[in-house]
Amino acid sequence: MKMPGGRKIERLYDEHAQPLFAFLLNFTRDEADTRDLLQEIFVKLARTPGLLDGIREERAFLIRLAHNAAIDLMRRRGTRDKTKENFAAEILSPFAPASDPDEQTFREELAVALGELPEEQRAVVHLKLWVGQTFEEIAAALEIPPNTAASRYRYGLDKLRGRLRPLYEEMKKAE
Amino acid sequence: MMNEETKPGMNADEFEKRLQRQPLRQAPCEWRSEILAAARDAQASCHPSPATRHGWLATFNRQLSILLWPHPKAWAGLAAVWVFVFAVNFSLRDTTPRLAEKSAPPSPEVMVELKKQQRMFAELVGSYETPDADRRKVFSPRPRSERVEIVTV
Repeated sequence: MKMPGGRKIERLYDEHAQPLFAFLLNFTRDEADTRDLLQEIFVKLARTPGLLDGIREERAFLIRLAHNAAIDLMRRRGTRDKTKENFAAEILSPFAPASDPDEQTFREELAVALGELPEEQRAVVHLKLWVGQTFEEIAAALEIPPNTAASRYRYGLDKLRGRLRPLYEEMKKAE
Repeated sequence: MMNEETKPGMNADEFEKRLQRQPLRQAPCEWRSEILAAARDAQASCHPSPATRHGWLATFNRQLSILLWPHPKAWAGLAAVWVFVFAVNFSLRDTTPRLAEKSAPPSPEVMVELKKQQRMFAELVGSYETPDADRRKVFSPRPRSERVEIVTV
């Protein structure tokens, strides 16, 4: 399917769907919601072919779309499914399963610790650690000042460190 | 107070790097085809291609042909009859201007009634001249000299 500007929706999917999936899954903590949001983004891209015209950083723009769509979903849902969200946050991991039991334990604990972070901190931590964005890029994507992005990252990372310290130190000793 | 990053055994860079090394889950493969199909449908519904539009027109023509084809002469005859009916109707149309019918003169009863209503209206308004017999009965304060004249008249 050809899109104006030589872009193809297939090419966009192949290049950006995976990081968008991981970001949305970590943000929503719900696989069905992640799928709906991912589809919403690509349907929007297909409906408005000029949406990416003049955009230099496709990834940053798409993450911004994803974040806004996820925020809209959370607002629509409100506190109705709060219990479900909390439950999902404890069991759904955004990480791939590991063959090593210690590593698997660490990933599970990390997933739980991430789920305990406020959404805004979780988004910044995810974009910094697993998308590799700078604070300027994160600030542009989440529509916040760069200093706010940096402080949210610091707070989020401190919470993760505090939560994972015993396990992390134990693993370090074993290594 | 000791900063989290300065605590022994928990180097900030190391911890961050360890987190970064954690591989993320992959999106299910079947999502690709489903999501792209939904995107294609959305694009097609928003911007129907010329081929699609021609397709609609072709379908309409084909259906019309199927409907009319069995008896084309009968349909043509029916159309000719309708044309003839319209032509006759048009040629026989009365084009002379219609004159307004002259209305008959009103009957005496109506005239009497009209006069009565006219008098009543005049009395109400106050400008109607009453008959002589009635005029004497009307009291009107006037100077003595004029009153005498009326009596003599």
